[in-house]
Amino acid sequence: MDDRFDLVYRLLDEQIVDVDGRRCGRVDDIELVGAPGEPLRIGGLLTGRGTYAARIPRPFRGLARTLFGADVRGATVQRVPWPEVEDVRATVSLYGRAVDLALGRDDRELQRPFQRLPGG
Amino acid sequence: MKVVLRIALGIIAAIGGFVDIGDLVFNTQAGAQFGYTLMWAVPIGVVGIGVYAEMSGRVAAVTKRPVFDVIRMRMGLSSGLVVLVASLFVNLLTLSAEIGGVAIVLQLFFDAPFTLFALLGALGLITIIWFTPFEGIERLFGYGGLTLFVFVAAALHEQPDWHAVGHGVVPEAPSSTLYWYFAVGLIAAALMPYEVYFYSSGGVEEGWTPKDLLVNRLNAIVGYGIGGVLSLGLMVAAAQLFEPAGVEPDHLGTVALLAQIPYGETGLVLALLGMLFAIGGAAVDASFAAAYSIAQFAGWEWGKYRRPSGAPRFTCAWLLFFALGLAILMTGIDPLDLTEYSVVLSVVALPLTYLPVLLIARDRTFMGDYANGQIARVLGWLYFVILVVVALAAIPLLLATNAGGG
Repeated sequence: MDDRFDLVYRLLDEQIVDVDGRRCGRVDDIELVGAPGEPLRIGGLLTGRGTYAARIPRPFRGLARTLFGADVRGATVQRVPWPEVEDVRATVSLYGRAVDLALGRDDRELQRPFQRLPGG
Repeated sequence: MKVVLRIALGIIAAIGGFVDIGDLVFNTQAGAQFGYTLMWAVPIGVVGIGVYAEMSGRVAAVTKRPVFDVIRMRMGLSSGLVVLVASLFVNLLTLSAEIGGVAIVLQLFFDAPFTLFALLGALGLITIIWFTPFEGIERLFGYGGLTLFVFVAAALHEQPDWHAVGHGVVPEAPSSTLYWYFAVGLIAAALMPYEVYFYSSGGVEEGWTPKDLLVNRLNAIVGYGIGGVLSLGLMVAAAQLFEPAGVEPDHLGTVALLAQIPYGETGLVLALLGMLFAIGGAAVDASFAAAYSIAQFAGWEWGKYRRPSGAPRFTCAWLLFFALGLAILMTGIDPLDLTEYSVVLSVVALPLTYLPVLLIARDRTFMGDYANGQIARVLGWLYFVILVVVALAAIPLLLATNAGGG
């Protein structure tokens, strides 16, 4: 990874991929930590539809909360601690598996009915 | 030898997969109403889809990013969401029109109600998608669509007036609003964006790397280029057989007459089979294009290389779009009207998805040595201007001509 890179250009909105190569969300927001006068650093990445409302123009936020849900950590928004990120290239690759970081939960819940079908 | 065969098979599938219900409707109607005079519009659309597909395929091979990945990355969440909604809307209209087209062709083979065939057609396509791997789907419909060459044979069989064909290469100056509506429709029908979403995602599904750039270039340029010959065949045949007789092809079945007149029942069956595969394939592409768009935008697992349970939200998305497409048809709307709206509205939304692909294809940060060269840069921006002009003209022309009704 380069020493310096533009967070919005290279990290925000990128695809997150776990160690098994499974796509498990996008970088919907970036959590920055630090106090005034101190260096700012990345605390973690936020992913999930609950982040959408905060990112779109104010007049549409109510509608977005209705459609995509409000920001509920652990439910509609998951946090990936920055040390879990292995690399940022074409995708943001993780050291761990999606299941261990509670990512891609909706996919796992939907999996079972399809597995029961022939060819599923 | 194996590589050559693989490239050839890919190109053949691209040729057969080029035509959909929009091309069948607009090319035949244009030939029937304006003879050869609108032939110039077809190459504009065909070169346009070649440029767009080549760029998006190259971006997919080099960066592993299909179209909606690029859109989300370059446009961000808010603007990207607007583009996503607009694209899904036109995609749904297209899918609905294609399912309707499949039902009409089945009705010409067997006598049963339209709604029953729409349902059976959709269920048949869902079953094929469910059990067939990605490459198999691409090849099945691509090869089946090749029987559409019967229209090119019909056009040549009727000995076209080559002098008039030559004149058709240049736009007519004092022309009617309807003439320009069809010009926009022909360009738009060749440039349906769902084909590019499907194409670039397909490149990622098949694991393209920079080593596959030749395959990409040949598929996009040669495959779509020869596919464009099918469109011209339809228009020329309609100009010879329908225009003098004053036939207005306002039913999909009328299109098949272009092959039946010179070749009898064999021609009719070949034409209908080609139409069935071409339109059915387009329905599959459109449903996948919608599912790819949502999944890539939201970051879900996607792809036919996974089993349906391996990418369940993606699977739900394409199944849902089939259901919505069917629901639109059940309102009783004429699939041909739906086709016209989907084609014209697609071109309105097209610059929104074209620009982010153009911007990343020229960006050396992502593309390195594979960024747009001189030709791709000039053609890329030239087509952006053309697309914006066509997009701005589309809605006024649609309203002024009452969707081609005059």
